[in-house]
Amino acid sequence: MNELYGPLDSEGRVPPLQQTRIAAFLISAHGALARQSAFTLPTKLESAWQTELNAQLFRETEIVSLLMRATSWAPDPGLGYMTVAWESAWFPAPVYEISDWPLAVAAGLATLAHAVHAGIRPATLLPAEANPEDPFAMALRRIEFESGRLLQAQILSLKGPDFVPFRDAVNSALERRHAEVRRLWRDMLQSVGIAIRE
Amino acid sequence: MSSTDRRTRPPMCSSTVSRNIRSSGEPIATPWWRGTFGSRHSTCSAGAVSDKPALFISQDDHVAVLHRLIGELGNGPVFLSGISFGGLIALHYAIEYRRRLSGLVPMSCFAELSPQLLLLGNALRMGLILGGTGYLQDLPLPMNLSDQWLKPLLDKLDSVKRQRWLVNDLYALQNLMESFLDFKPLTPQLSSITVPTMIVNGEFDFLTPRALHETLRVHISNSSLVIIPRAYHAFTLEKAALTADLLARFAEDVLAGRWQGNRAVWIAPEDAGRALTPFPAGYDHLRAIPVPEAPE
Repeated sequence: MNELYGPLDSEGRVPPLQQTRIAAFLISAHGALARQSAFTLPTKLESAWQTELNAQLFRETEIVSLLMRATSWAPDPGLGYMTVAWESAWFPAPVYEISDWPLAVAAGLATLAHAVHAGIRPATLLPAEANPEDPFAMALRRIEFESGRLLQAQILSLKGPDFVPFRDAVNSALERRHAEVRRLWRDMLQSVGIAIRE
Repeated sequence: MSSTDRRTRPPMCSSTVSRNIRSSGEPIATPWWRGTFGSRHSTCSAGAVSDKPALFISQDDHVAVLHRLIGELGNGPVFLSGISFGGLIALHYAIEYRRRLSGLVPMSCFAELSPQLLLLGNALRMGLILGGTGYLQDLPLPMNLSDQWLKPLLDKLDSVKRQRWLVNDLYALQNLMESFLDFKPLTPQLSSITVPTMIVNGEFDFLTPRALHETLRVHISNSSLVIIPRAYHAFTLEKAALTADLLARFAEDVLAGRWQGNRAVWIAPEDAGRALTPFPAGYDHLRAIPVPEAPE
């Protein structure tokens, strides 16, 4: 087991099988966020915060598009069942303690987005000697950077006045989502020979 | 203050949010507490493998963690030091658990937000949001360390920063910074701190300048202010040996019954082991130029 991606090839690139699994996982997670953002986004914006929802939709879509083009794909028979497990994990999980149903659904989406943007740091596993000109490496750095900015919307909404009465429930849901997303990320990495320290 | 036999050291508990910087696995600066004290070290939940709360953490949470940590030290004398945000937590602790401590060392610290510090804190938080952890490293590094320290390390700074970037999650840093958004000044409670207190401030500390330490000196009766010459906010990193020596002398003086705070102002030596100098009488220690003190 390695602690980082690799071993890198002679040009400092991540092996294609690792690229394939990592990209598939990230596309699955960010794709789910894009879909759920799209369903939540109204055709006519009523509140200022909804402008952020619009931005989220297109940033998530950008991440998916970027990975599809930057990855050196390799045949991977294991992806089928893994994708099913990932996709089922991203299903909407409203925070049931919140009686206002649209708010409960929004809280569920925000916890998933927080867990994906904060809990997955794909660029930290790039070895220092990774080729900075490699599009996959650059894509991972960009995704991590954008995730940090996208995270603000989740932090603001989850700490915002709407959820103050449900702070404990929101906090519990968020910790559960974080644990689940980290476990899936860790399992996927282990399947390509990478063990991350907990 | 004096220099005495340092073969046995009292327990020293430190609280900080800035962690020791390494390059390629080798320490650039030895942590100031290592090898000097029986120590416990808390990093205010900014560490890589800690159970960082995803969303909420308050200053009370930090104090509670610190209390559990200090509980591990048993019943012996405990000296608590903290730098920057960690110094604030140390002050909180001293106010809440004053009987548990034998001595307190707030460093590069503050008890209230001056307008400058408030605006700087807001700017750093916004920098973190827009520019990520990398920006939060890039900006304070030249603010908090001297040219003399930075110059020989310029070509290694990327690897230094990479190590910190790897282990500091953006959301944890932001949670930490946001725990100070509803900050309530501690100044009204400072007079309840009666333990011996050595306040330490870098001569050129830009983030928390002398005036912020003066609040502590004036309100904590058994305190002295020690100014570290040619030092900035992060002097524990840059002058690790001197810091360890000053803290050791302080602890020994307290345990030997020699400590007298008297709200005095001292100038630390340039190097460990040398004598401290009283700040020249008649001059204003809050100024950067030798201006006589204004009459009271």
